[in-house]
Amino acid sequence: MTRALDQFVLLVGKDLKIEARTRQTLSLVVVLGILIIVVLGLGLGTQNNVAGFNATAVLWVAYLFSGVLCFEKTMAVERNDGVLAGLMLAPLDRGLIYLAKLASNLVLMLAVALVVTPAGILFFGFDLSKSPGSFVAIMLLSILGFAAVGTLFAAVVSSTRLQGGLLAMMVFPIALPLVVTSTQLMVRAFRDGVNPGAGGVGILVAFDAIFLVVSWLVFEFVLEP
Amino acid sequence: MCNCTPRQKLIRLYWLGTFALFAVAIARLVMFTPNESTMGAIQKIFYLHLPIAIATFLACLVTFVGGIGYLVKRELWWDDLASASGRVAVQLCSVVLLTGMIWGKSAWGQWWTWSPRLTFSLVLWLLYIVYLTIRTSIESRQRRAVISAVYAIIAFLDVPLVWLSTRLMTDIHPTSIQLAGSMKITLLSWFVPVFMMVAGLIIAKWKLNERNRVAEQEQTAPFQPVISARFQYQGGAA
Repeated sequence: MTRALDQFVLLVGKDLKIEARTRQTLSLVVVLGILIIVVLGLGLGTQNNVAGFNATAVLWVAYLFSGVLCFEKTMAVERNDGVLAGLMLAPLDRGLIYLAKLASNLVLMLAVALVVTPAGILFFGFDLSKSPGSFVAIMLLSILGFAAVGTLFAAVVSSTRLQGGLLAMMVFPIALPLVVTSTQLMVRAFRDGVNPGAGGVGILVAFDAIFLVVSWLVFEFVLEP
Repeated sequence: MCNCTPRQKLIRLYWLGTFALFAVAIARLVMFTPNESTMGAIQKIFYLHLPIAIATFLACLVTFVGGIGYLVKRELWWDDLASASGRVAVQLCSVVLLTGMIWGKSAWGQWWTWSPRLTFSLVLWLLYIVYLTIRTSIESRQRRAVISAVYAIIAFLDVPLVWLSTRLMTDIHPTSIQLAGSMKITLLSWFVPVFMMVAGLIIAKWKLNERNRVAEQEQTAPFQPVISARFQYQGGAA
């Protein structure tokens, strides 16, 4: 168990070290997220009619597109210098490769969310004071589920030539239940004033668990150097 | 009736039977079901809508099974089956959406509302449209089979999640229906030909895919002896 943990830390550390030294993913993804928010802000926000519970719609567009770019970029790192082939030859559980990749994607996505969400609040004037806790919980759980499928499909797609468009097309419809659930919970929390409570959060947790376990199980079938 | 093999005769008989049963079903629909008081004859679209909706799920299930079969066995005929039923699932789901919209216009006055079942059908349709699009955009045969199998599995497991998530929306779709005895028989008389048609379409497309694949392999076949000779040479004592 400790051995697996060491390997996991090593794999995540490798990804984050590369990212810290080059900043090739984060710089791109954060800028894309802000651009999307600005475009949506110009399209909708100047009318000042966007209520707080619509925050999810705007933020989801930013998260989805920057997420897809992020997953694709972090997987492309493995393509350089035959890293993936090396990892597959190493005495590692392949599920561990998936979990490590997911963890580094999550770190990057959280960094994106930390920049994009305040930008959204700034430009749209979302009023989150009613229940900031449920907003954070809903968005964190949704991002976890989205990253779980995104990481799997990034690995699937990385061996084909048509990367970008194909990945977005695969992940968006699969992630729709997360979008629907988080939007509905946000509407309840901010328009109707009902806290999502254990039931609402439970659905998101269940989605995350299903996406995680299935992706983890399927991952070793899709790896190809 | 024709100058053909017993198998072809059987296929013709199957389709003739299906069409005959469709004729019976339509006759029952015209003669034995009453007109609904407010919607009139449009309500009868329900007898087509329900069986096709259920058949859609079955087609998705077959795609799922085909995907698992390919990942486990790595034989391409599983992939042929999955792609055939994926295509049929999209066709059926389109019919479900269209008949549902016609119903919706007549019953609720709107072509489209964001009610749970409508959203659910739309997402289902999108999931399987994407399945077909993925297939056409990957050139390597093996890679296409692996990727679409993984996608088919995740997409099918996504279906109950979509269902759960849309339940959070407000609903106006009828959930249970009261039918008189003759209406039940009419509904049953629709189920039988619809399911026969769906099974026939899936199998026909499956066999067509298999033939196309074999034909493609035969086109590249002349190169194979050369390759195998080289392998033997490399492995042998010479």
